[in-house]
Amino acid sequence: MPAARRRALISILITAGMVGGTALFIFWAVHSPLQVQRFLVRLVMISLILFLAILFLRYFALLWFAYLQHSEKTIRGGEVSSFMPPVTVIVPAYNEAEVIDDAIEAVLGLDYPVYEVIIVDDGSTDTTVTLARQWEGRHGNAEVRVFTKANGGKATALNSGIAQAKYSFVLCMDADSSIEPQTLRVVMPHFEDPSVGAVAGNVKIVNRDHWLARLQALEYIEGLNMPRRAQGFIGAVNIVPGPVGVFRLDAVHEVGGYDVDTFAEDADLTLKLITNGWKIIYEDSAITWTQAPTSLVDLIQQRYRWTRGILQAIRKRKQVLLRPFPDFPLWLSAMEMAFEGVVWPVLNVYAHLFFAVVALLYGMGELLLYWWILLTLLDLVVALITVSMEEEELGLVPYAIIYRFFFILFLDVTKTLAAVEEAFNLGMDWGKLRRVSLTQDAGKG
Amino acid sequence: MNVIDLLILIIVVTILVTIALGVMTYIAYKLRMARKPATSDDESTTARYFVLHKPPLDATDPPESDAS
Repeated sequence: MPAARRRALISILITAGMVGGTALFIFWAVHSPLQVQRFLVRLVMISLILFLAILFLRYFALLWFAYLQHSEKTIRGGEVSSFMPPVTVIVPAYNEAEVIDDAIEAVLGLDYPVYEVIIVDDGSTDTTVTLARQWEGRHGNAEVRVFTKANGGKATALNSGIAQAKYSFVLCMDADSSIEPQTLRVVMPHFEDPSVGAVAGNVKIVNRDHWLARLQALEYIEGLNMPRRAQGFIGAVNIVPGPVGVFRLDAVHEVGGYDVDTFAEDADLTLKLITNGWKIIYEDSAITWTQAPTSLVDLIQQRYRWTRGILQAIRKRKQVLLRPFPDFPLWLSAMEMAFEGVVWPVLNVYAHLFFAVVALLYGMGELLLYWWILLTLLDLVVALITVSMEEEELGLVPYAIIYRFFFILFLDVTKTLAAVEEAFNLGMDWGKLRRVSLTQDAGKG
Repeated sequence: MNVIDLLILIIVVTILVTIALGVMTYIAYKLRMARKPATSDDESTTARYFVLHKPPLDATDPPESDAS
């Protein structure tokens, strides 16, 4: 039997086992003695309150630090920096023929004095390299170079680009992304501080004409950028996102570049930089537009890879989780990743399931309703604050109603199953998503 | 059935349907991956190499527009 089929079969068996185990537990709970049922009712009430409390504390902490970061940035917003060293932009590409022209055109539109663009073709089987080569040469302030190599994954493509970089700072981006012209101008002043090793940019969804993409647009603002902003306040952003991240080349060399043993090379490199004492900053004006999956299966495919990749990055540092000192920033970053990547999703799925079943069986529906209303109000408020902070479209805020109710719960099912597979150390594939040309999307911004 | 009961029903059903949809989509993803053509084991052991493409000396503008 081919390896891919064997892996799929094992995954489906594990999923069936988890679903069956949960069903058996529910069956047992229903048919258990009265005392056990009373205990379950009490447990539900306490769990509902605890769940809300944890969510509230999480939101409050993240919002508070995000607010501090936002205020700090607003205060020093008027400062003008002349720190604009030359930068190398690296664009790894594997079968990106649909989007490579858009990506290069956006990069060449960067408003920056001196930079070079390195396109690394990771052994594409389509016309990516042919299209990229048409851009080779000098274009105003930028020089474009194209390299091709045998397919080895994104991390090897990025390492190859880094090896060819002429300048001391590198901007790593994805070929399916479109970068905003001001990005380098707003990012580079952060590197005046010699302790800053990397700056994470702000990733936004471009194809907002689909309901699922709009939900992801809200998720990027509320669920990804807000925590990143909060982490940026203490200089410990734990994932410099693949679509836009600028690195000090010395720092990248110091930690040995990207490792090829995880599927979240961006998270892994960031943790390596934090381990070596580098500060990682968030810059919300460094915007890049990326495509969101518009089918549920594509979305699951992307999140499965993210979850397992993050868990692989944490697994490499599992001893850190038990040892907060002396490396507190690393411990904090790893703990936060573990909490957001595994603990919270698993808790979320089982809490919802538990509450729904108990509400049905024990007539506690009213409690569930009030709990849900509080949760939704909390999500709406946080969506409103974060959307305002990013000066984004207010039309995204109502999506908060179905954000946790459907979207997050749906994704957390995948995260839970991916976490179980990672625990079993099942093999996996990268899983390339389908692309469409960005110029086909009218909804940018 | 009053409004409260209706809302409770909607919430409970949505939670259960969402979880079921999550599991089914996950299985659909796994089946899609299983149907993908198998990749050769040799590919992972192929030596990584670079082919430096030298741009033509007179390379100037991009194909369609002046992107500088």
